[in-house]
Amino acid sequence: MRLELNVINIKKVQFTKKTGIDKGMLSINREELQKILEEDTRLGSVDIELAQPGEKCRITRVFDAIEPRARLGNGSVDFPGALGKQGVVGDGKTCVLRGAAVLTSQCFTGAEGQSRRAAGGIVDMWGPGAEVGPYGGTCNVVLLPSPSQGTSLSDYLVAIKIAGLKTAVYLAKAGVDLTPNETEVYDMEPFPLTRRDLPELPRVAYIFQIFSNQQLPLPGDPVFYGDNIDGIVPTIIHPNEVFDGAITTLSIDTYLLQNHPILKELYRNHGKSLYLVGVIITNAPNNGPAIERAATIAANQAKFILRADGVILTKYGGGAPEMTMGATAQKCERLGIRTALAIQHAGLDTAEISLKPSTIFTDTPEVDAIVSLGTNVGGPDLTLPVPERVIGMDSVQLAKELVRQVSQIKGATSLIGNSKLMTVRY
Amino acid sequence: MAKKLRVVHYLNQFFGGIGGEEKANTGPQVFGGAIGPGRAIQKAMGDHGEVVATAVCGDNYFGEKMEQAADEIIDLIRPYKPDIVIAGPAFEAGRYGVACGAICKAVQEKLGIRAVTGMYEENPGVEIYHKDVWIIQTGDSIRSMNEAITRMVNLVTKLTDGEKMGKPSEDNYFPRGIVVNEEADRTGAERVVDMLLKKLRGEPFESEVVQPKHLPVVPASRITNIESAIIALVTDGGLVPIGNPDKIEASNATKFGEYSLSGIQTLNSADYDVNHGGYDTALVKQNPNRLVPVDAMRQMEKDKVIGKLYEKFYATAGVSTRAEMARKFGQAIAAELIAAGVSGVILTST
Repeated sequence: MRLELNVINIKKVQFTKKTGIDKGMLSINREELQKILEEDTRLGSVDIELAQPGEKCRITRVFDAIEPRARLGNGSVDFPGALGKQGVVGDGKTCVLRGAAVLTSQCFTGAEGQSRRAAGGIVDMWGPGAEVGPYGGTCNVVLLPSPSQGTSLSDYLVAIKIAGLKTAVYLAKAGVDLTPNETEVYDMEPFPLTRRDLPELPRVAYIFQIFSNQQLPLPGDPVFYGDNIDGIVPTIIHPNEVFDGAITTLSIDTYLLQNHPILKELYRNHGKSLYLVGVIITNAPNNGPAIERAATIAANQAKFILRADGVILTKYGGGAPEMTMGATAQKCERLGIRTALAIQHAGLDTAEISLKPSTIFTDTPEVDAIVSLGTNVGGPDLTLPVPERVIGMDSVQLAKELVRQVSQIKGATSLIGNSKLMTVRY
Repeated sequence: MAKKLRVVHYLNQFFGGIGGEEKANTGPQVFGGAIGPGRAIQKAMGDHGEVVATAVCGDNYFGEKMEQAADEIIDLIRPYKPDIVIAGPAFEAGRYGVACGAICKAVQEKLGIRAVTGMYEENPGVEIYHKDVWIIQTGDSIRSMNEAITRMVNLVTKLTDGEKMGKPSEDNYFPRGIVVNEEADRTGAERVVDMLLKKLRGEPFESEVVQPKHLPVVPASRITNIESAIIALVTDGGLVPIGNPDKIEASNATKFGEYSLSGIQTLNSADYDVNHGGYDTALVKQNPNRLVPVDAMRQMEKDKVIGKLYEKFYATAGVSTRAEMARKFGQAIAAELIAAGVSGVILTST
């Protein structure tokens, strides 16, 4: 499975009569795109705004960010299952509009729209906020969909997720016939299990939690090939499927999945200091027996099918998913696989005397290699200046100077290690 | 050049040269200049400071009247106009460590000056005072006195020079409960791959995160007469009366509620809300007995399986709860239940 990304660099974005790309300018026919998005009966009108880096512009309630990408070739399928058709992703060629992003700003009215579950994050296109997150530096196409009458919050969130994906594909389709500015190739071949002439390097797999059973899955949420994976067991996939649209989540920006930092780092080292041998996607179950089951299956897959020497693990969520992580890592270690975990802390015990921040799980001394991804209550604080323009809901409250933690800037931190932040005790 | 620091040193009866255990009831006294380990402190500080006085108090005297003893000592040392107080080091001596922590805390609050002490990690004084007081990590015995003095004086110097304090591992003090994010030199993704590679190669690596050290929980002895016992219901599933009158937070809870079950045979959906950010609460809202099983308990009362259901249930939300907060809740609830003659608790979690 060899994936070639045809990267086209975008420097500016504008609305015009015809959607197209020329010398770094992405032009968009706003009415044409709106019509496509408004076909979804869960949505009412869909406003679209543009925001360029450097503008004193703030975007609120950003729910998802997607890099515009579209696959090349006749009959190609993008975001399989999510946009209707099934198909293969992760091989062949995909056009990428680098320097651009689609942002969906959640516009559900009332208390539900302000609830923690739906809240989203802020994007500032200038100042300290722009420096810490990726989307302050991208040319943003912001969708502002209203829900249609009677649509529940959960249906609305799924609908706007899909609207973002549709927009990403629509925009990138304008680039599929153009000569790319650069290409990136992602290929796990030659595969060490089939070639004995290759140097001996450790084989590394990535166990990737993409869903937590703390909440019921949203009906229609296109988590994996369009399915909301209720009841999923650990499943082996190719890393390119993560990059190329097989997975979306509610807690990790699609943009960050498309540019998954841990997979990119593993690929960077592939063939030099390690072999990347595969990805195991899993859920974080909500009860003991299911946690044990998920841990057993994932560890067995890593050991006996992928023949991994080492495994990296991340989690999906706060404290509860750490139980699955700890159990899985322990089982791996007991099978002889070395593990390293990356965790974002939720609810640290500040009364602890230990010199370092801690996890939730305990009694697993073999799980001794853990990287901190920061905590969402540990700052640092940013003073975000007064914007000249606000896109999205809550514009009155947010059109002023704000003090926010870095973790409240959309995309600045994540569960998968794109940030340099780590938590320290003093 | 900063002015010479006026240091007052606190010692117990043993280090103060009064006597051993038999003198532990001695009340507070103050002497001019340095005594015993205070001389080593003086030497380590050189021209930077002067041990102008030493306060000495018996460990038992202090332990029995803590606040009063602290006030007495403060009155004795006030005339010496200290800029800073150094207490101990106490090593593993528990009463002494607690006294050192207490006197440091009192001095900070009542004289508005800084205070530093030192003790071994298992000294109970560490857990009680580490958030309020700078406590240097020492060895467990007097053999590590020199190292302890050096560390304490180093900390005093940093505190008074205005130099930025290093991490606890750098400046050898117990973490004070401050948790912050700092920028590492590389992303988390780069660091986790690098850490795995080191581990795979058998090279030394340093984990950035540790597992918590939970204190072992000793189970209570079994209930021998369940048919006459009072059993209580406690939950961290976030059940609250409609409107959440006590405003219990849905995450990082800082309180728990107590709600009457008097005359209630079953919990009705209309009377309760579920305020919890970590699970889908719809099923509990539909029928709160799923979380707090009042209906089943009432049946057990009728069938004389248990003696009585306790007249209140206790509830909080267990989401990102600070462990020390959870301990506080547990201790408070347990104290009330014991006083009310309750022998058992059914604790439901989500």
